[in-house]
Amino acid sequence: MPGTLSKKLALTKERLYSLVGLAIVLALVPVFLGFNFYYVLLATNVMLAASLVAAWNIIGGYAGQLDLAASAYMALGAVITGHLLASFGLTPWIGMFIGAAVAVGVAVLVGYPTFRFGIKEVWYALLTSALVVIMMRIYYLIYGSFETYIPHMEPEWLYLTFRRYEVYYYMLATMLVIIIWVNLKIKDSKLGYYLAAIREDELAAEALGIDVRRYKLYALMIYAALAGLVGGIYITLTGILSFRLFDPWLGIVTAVMGIVGGLGSIGGAVLAAVILRSLEEYLRGAIGATYPGSHLLVYGLILILVGVLKPEGLASLLDYLKKKIIRR
Amino acid sequence: MPEPLLRVEDVVKRFGGIIAVNHMSMEVYENEILGLIGPNGAGKTTLFNCITGVYKPEEGRIIFQNEDITGLPPHVIIQKGIARTWQKVRPFKKLTVLEAVTVGALLRTPDVDEARETAKEILEFIGIEKSRWNRLGSEITLIEHKLVDLARALATRPKLILLDEVAAGLRPHEMDELAKVLLKVREEYKLTLIVVEHVMRFVMGLSERIVVMHEGKKIAEGRPEEVANNPRVVEAYLGTKPL
Repeated sequence: MPGTLSKKLALTKERLYSLVGLAIVLALVPVFLGFNFYYVLLATNVMLAASLVAAWNIIGGYAGQLDLAASAYMALGAVITGHLLASFGLTPWIGMFIGAAVAVGVAVLVGYPTFRFGIKEVWYALLTSALVVIMMRIYYLIYGSFETYIPHMEPEWLYLTFRRYEVYYYMLATMLVIIIWVNLKIKDSKLGYYLAAIREDELAAEALGIDVRRYKLYALMIYAALAGLVGGIYITLTGILSFRLFDPWLGIVTAVMGIVGGLGSIGGAVLAAVILRSLEEYLRGAIGATYPGSHLLVYGLILILVGVLKPEGLASLLDYLKKKIIRR
Repeated sequence: MPEPLLRVEDVVKRFGGIIAVNHMSMEVYENEILGLIGPNGAGKTTLFNCITGVYKPEEGRIIFQNEDITGLPPHVIIQKGIARTWQKVRPFKKLTVLEAVTVGALLRTPDVDEARETAKEILEFIGIEKSRWNRLGSEITLIEHKLVDLARALATRPKLILLDEVAAGLRPHEMDELAKVLLKVREEYKLTLIVVEHVMRFVMGLSERIVVMHEGKKIAEGRPEEVANNPRVVEAYLGTKPL
């Protein structure tokens, strides 16, 4: 029925306007950056981080599982898309969906026993962090330390081998908007209510009839699929396939950004990703060259400050501003 | 005698060497309020957890509406129609009162709007003021927590509710209020209630029948005044007379 479908796709007015507003702002960013190569690349990286954090928000923010394996699912999507393109000439338009499907498969393989045996909190964090390293070693066993390069292929739009960064920027920005939309839809659905209940109290949630394992697995699968898609786009940007894609640090940083943003708040999560990622690059450029590594020091200090001053995350700041505006 | 709604048959639950529930049997009939009492460590809460699927009993069977539900997981048990509340409140701290009750109502419908309407009806019926509906779980008082916990359970449309020490920590006038709500709720939703309780005034006033547990077994059963004068019950609570 078209009526029910359009109802399912629709958002509340306020949210729809925010999302459209965000899309317009994102569309204009390269114009404001004067189509400068370097700045657009930076903006693309910010979009990448924001997309990943927005995907993480489903498992970390809504379901409350401290997942540190964002880079594992992203890298899976990336290497599968990349190798299908480099070895078989398969277009990334299809490859990224195969990559995402494999990421979901791995998520189920890992998630089913994990949730079956009730692994949670710090143990879940350790397990997912180890997953990134294990995936990295597996890739290393197959391909060794060789890096595979994706050649330039024509037509560009089919193989996504563009010579300018703007296209990648727009692809990742679109991805970000889609992931935020998915987040908002989940939040308003039965799944969203159930995930929130699981996050707050698993035992009470189960006693209200929620199959905790199954709903956690749903959250993990959606998150893995989105992270895999992001990886598929990312690999067409860098074009370099290597075991280094399985980066434990990126998994941790993704969770950190989500937490700084305020758990369960998609606006806060995206804002945190945009601010922290831009700041990281700025600090690297400004002081990283003179005093190597010092940008990480400053970055860490800022994280501590946020933790002390705003433990509820940037989301509480957003709520505060919203209330101020409404009151006027 | 009519067919019981819930039948506990010879249930045994051990934790290592300790036998928490020792060949316990009892029946619960439709639309009654059954008080389950006993001194600390009598196995009341463990029996509750066996019925609601938190623990799997080692021996014995639990029959609900002529169906064996022994060892089923909690989320399946509640679908059959057995809901519970918690001794120590387990609030959804970051959800509002209305959202928490909506979670319960979502068991019977996938539609969030419909579930929210059900939640509103139940909150209104239980008597939580509208101005409190948008409060977070971390912002409400103990009596409100107990009521929300009850509303959450009611929203799943159960036939039987197990109340684990609902009166604990409440002031006397709050207990009276709660007892009134429970009677009202039973009437409206055609419910059966099992009340585990330490506060004698509350459970004796509310229950129509009492089962007394001691050291994992049933030692007495009957109307409140019968049970209160039963020498075995007095002995279990106060110990034997000194010689």
